[in-house]
Amino acid sequence: MAIVHLQANHATFTDGVRQLEVDGATVGAVIDELAKRFDGLGPLLREGSSVAINGELQPKGTIYAAVTGDAEVHFLAPISGG
Amino acid sequence: MTATENRPPKYKYVGTRPVRHDGLDKVTGKARFAADLDLTGQLRGVMVRSPHAHARIVSIDTSAAEAMPGVKAVTTGADFPTIDPADPAHDEAINNIARDEVLYDGHTVAAVAATTLAEARAAAAAVKVEYEVLPAVLSIEESIADGAPIANSTNRTLFTGDTEPSNIASIGPFQRGDVEAGFAAADVIVERTFTTKAVHQGYIEPHACVADVGQDGKATIWASSQGHFAVRSKTAKILGWGTDKIKVTPAEIGGGFGGKTTIYLEPIAVMLSQKAARPVKIVMTREEVLRATGPAPASKIHIKMGATNDGELTTIQGTLHYSNGSAKGYAALTGAMSIASYRFPNLDLMAVGTVDNTPKSAAYRAPSAPQAAFAIETLVDEIADQLGVDPIDLRLRNAVVEGDPTAMGAPHPKIGFIETLEAIKNSEHYNSPVPEGAGRGFGTGFWFNIGEQSSATVNLNEDGTATVITGSPDIGGSRASMALMAAEELGLDVHRITPIVADTESVGFTDITEGSRATFATGMAVVNACRELIEQMKERAAVMRGVAADQVAWIDGAAVIEGPPSEGADPVSIAEITGAAKMTGGPLTATASLNAAGAGPSFAAHLADVRVDEETGQVEILRYTAAQDAGTAIHPSYVEGQMQGGSAQGIGWALNEEYIFSGDGEMENASFLDYRMPVASDLPMIEAIIVEVPNPSHPYGVRGVGETGIVPPIGTLANAIAHAAGVRMTDLPMSPPTVLKAINNK
Repeated sequence: MAIVHLQANHATFTDGVRQLEVDGATVGAVIDELAKRFDGLGPLLREGSSVAINGELQPKGTIYAAVTGDAEVHFLAPISGG
Repeated sequence: MTATENRPPKYKYVGTRPVRHDGLDKVTGKARFAADLDLTGQLRGVMVRSPHAHARIVSIDTSAAEAMPGVKAVTTGADFPTIDPADPAHDEAINNIARDEVLYDGHTVAAVAATTLAEARAAAAAVKVEYEVLPAVLSIEESIADGAPIANSTNRTLFTGDTEPSNIASIGPFQRGDVEAGFAAADVIVERTFTTKAVHQGYIEPHACVADVGQDGKATIWASSQGHFAVRSKTAKILGWGTDKIKVTPAEIGGGFGGKTTIYLEPIAVMLSQKAARPVKIVMTREEVLRATGPAPASKIHIKMGATNDGELTTIQGTLHYSNGSAKGYAALTGAMSIASYRFPNLDLMAVGTVDNTPKSAAYRAPSAPQAAFAIETLVDEIADQLGVDPIDLRLRNAVVEGDPTAMGAPHPKIGFIETLEAIKNSEHYNSPVPEGAGRGFGTGFWFNIGEQSSATVNLNEDGTATVITGSPDIGGSRASMALMAAEELGLDVHRITPIVADTESVGFTDITEGSRATFATGMAVVNACRELIEQMKERAAVMRGVAADQVAWIDGAAVIEGPPSEGADPVSIAEITGAAKMTGGPLTATASLNAAGAGPSFAAHLADVRVDEETGQVEILRYTAAQDAGTAIHPSYVEGQMQGGSAQGIGWALNEEYIFSGDGEMENASFLDYRMPVASDLPMIEAIIVEVPNPSHPYGVRGVGETGIVPPIGTLANAIAHAAGVRMTDLPMSPPTVLKAINNK
C-alpha cells in the first residue's frame, strides 16, 4: 500500500492523522479511499491540493497518475506560478 | 556567464546564443500587439468603474449613455449569467464585471462601445450608477480585526465547510518536529515581524483585446495574455458559451510576469461586439491597469527562528498573513510552502489568507515567495551576524539537498541549491573587498516550477526547413528555446526553423505560460514531436535507399545507412527527404501533447553592495550579482535576461514600489509617475551566473528560470542595508523616508 502524507490542514478532517497507508492504483483511487475514511476531506484533496508522487510534482488535477504499492504520496497546497 | 560548464559535448545548438527569431520585428516595431490591431468598423470600448472601494449597486441607468452620439452598445453585469459563488470561476467572473456588489475602487460595473474613444469615454461618464456605500476593509489588520465588516459577501473560507461570510480566504498550518524542543535546544533565537505592500507586475503593455462576433455567433478574439487557451475557456465560462464559439489569437505580449494569467476585458468586449454587431477594441489606460488589475499581495509575516552555536537552524515558527485582495485565493499557503531552502527539523507555520477591498490579487513571478523570503533571509542573516559566521557558510550548513523535506513535507527532487550558493561564494564579486562606506548583503530564493499541459506540431517543409508550432505565448524568449531544442533533435540549423505561436484552433490545447513551464513542458512536446519526425524520416530514407528501416540511423541531421547493401553511402539529408516526400508518402509532420510531471525546482542566490545616504535614507546599489540554477540553459542569453529582469523587479519591490490607498480605499498613485518602478539609471549592470544542475525529468535538463530571480532581492538588499547603515529593515518599501526613519531611531 502507498504511504500517504497529509498536511496539517488536511489533519483537521482526520483527527490529526498525517501519515497513513492507503490502497489505490491511482491518485484518484487514493483520494476516493481517503474520502470514504474521512468526511469532508475529499473536496480539499480533489480541488484544493497539488500532489507529489515520490517527490515528483504531478500536473494539477491529475487523478489517473499511477500509484505503486511502495509510493510515497504527498498532498500539498495548490501550486501554480506567475 | 555559466558557472558549471557540465553540458555534454553532444549539444550542438542547445546552450548557444542565436539571434532570437522574433527579434527584428520587436526592435523595428513591426511586431503586432493587441492594441495595434484595427478592424473595419471597429468600435472602442470603455469601462465604467466604481469610485467606491465597497458598495452595493442599487441601480444602473444606461439610458442617457445609450442616447449619446456614436454609442452602439452598453452592457452591465445583468447581461452575464450568474455563477455560483462555490464555482471556481465565480470570483474571476465578478471581477470582470460586478453584479450586486463592488469590491474595490476601480471595479468594473458597466461598459460602453462607441464609434470613437472620445465618444465611448463620454458615454461611460453618462452611465448613472446609484451606490449604497458599505464599510471598506483596506488592510490585513482591518480584515482580521474583531467585528471587521465583511469585505466580500460571497467569500467563504476555503475547504473548512464554513457557510458564513468571512474575511479569511484560506487557512493552513504546516508542522513537523517539536518546535518547543527546537527552541529549547537553540543558542540563538531571532524574531521579527515583516510587512510588505501590494506591488504591481508593471508590464509595459496595458491589457488590450479586440473581439469580433460574427453573424454566425462565433467570437474571434485577439488578446494580450500569457495563455490564449485560458482566455478562451475563461471567456466562455463567464459568458456561458461553449468554447467552440470562441477563437483566440495570441497577440505579441508586452510583459506579463503572472499578471496576464487572468482576464479583465475579453468577455465584456465580446458582449459589446455581440450587441453592436461590430468589432470592439478595449485598451486599458495605465491608471486602469494599476487600479483594477491584480497586484502581488500585501503581507504581514511574523517569524521566530532558532539556531545552535555551531550554526544549525533548529526551528522556525510563525504566522504568514497574505492579502488576496477582494477575492479568495491561496497566496498565504503558497507563501508558507515556499519556505523550502533550509532543513529546519522543527517547523510550525500558520498561513492565513485574507480578503479585503483592494484589487483582487494576481500572480507575480514566484507568487508569494518574495515576501516570505524577505523574512527568512533577514533572520538567517541576523543569526549569521550573531554567531559571527560567514552568511553563505551558514546557509551551506543548512541548505536542502535531494531528499530533504520542503515546508509541506514532500522531499525535494534533484536540486542545485548547494551549487548555487557555491557559485556566489566563488564569484569575483564575493571575493572582492566591500567598497568603502558600503555594506554587502546576501540572500537566496526558491521556486517550485510546474509542468502542466502542452502541445506542439512540427512541420517539415519541402526545402528541408521546419516550422515549430506551439500554444505557449512567448513571454520570455520561448520561441528561441523551442527552435533550439528542435534544432538539437533534428540536427537542423536553428535559423532554418521558424517557431510560431498558433491560435486556439491551429494547435493542441496548451496551458497558460506560468510557473516557468514553457521551456520545460512545451519544450518536451517539441522534443517528442521532433523524435517522431526523425522516425518518419528514417522510414522515408529507407524507402529512398531501398533498405530496411532498421538499417537507418539518425546522425547529425541526416539519415545514415548502416549495413549492406548501402553501407557507406552518402547520408540522406533532411532536404533530400522532404524534397522526395511526395514520392515516399507525402508531407512530414508530427504532433505531440503531454501533461508534464517532474518540473525541477529552482534556487537562486544574490549578492549586493549598497551605500546608504544617512542624510536622506536613499539606497544606492553599487554592484549586484545573481546566480541561479537553470538546470540546463537552452539559450543562455535569455536565462540571463530572466535573472536580470527578476532581479530588477525585486529591487523595485524592495526599495520603492507600493500601492498607496486613501482612507476611502482609492489608489492614490495610479501612474508610473507616482508608482516608482526602477529605471535603468537606478540599477547597476546585474551580473548573472548560470548554474546548471540538470533536471532529470527533462530531456535536456531544463528547470525553468522565469520566476526564481525575483525571490532573493528583497532579503539581499535588506541585509546589505543592515551592514551599510546598521539598521534591520522590516517594512517595505525600503524607500528613503523609511530607511531614514530607521536610521534616526537606531
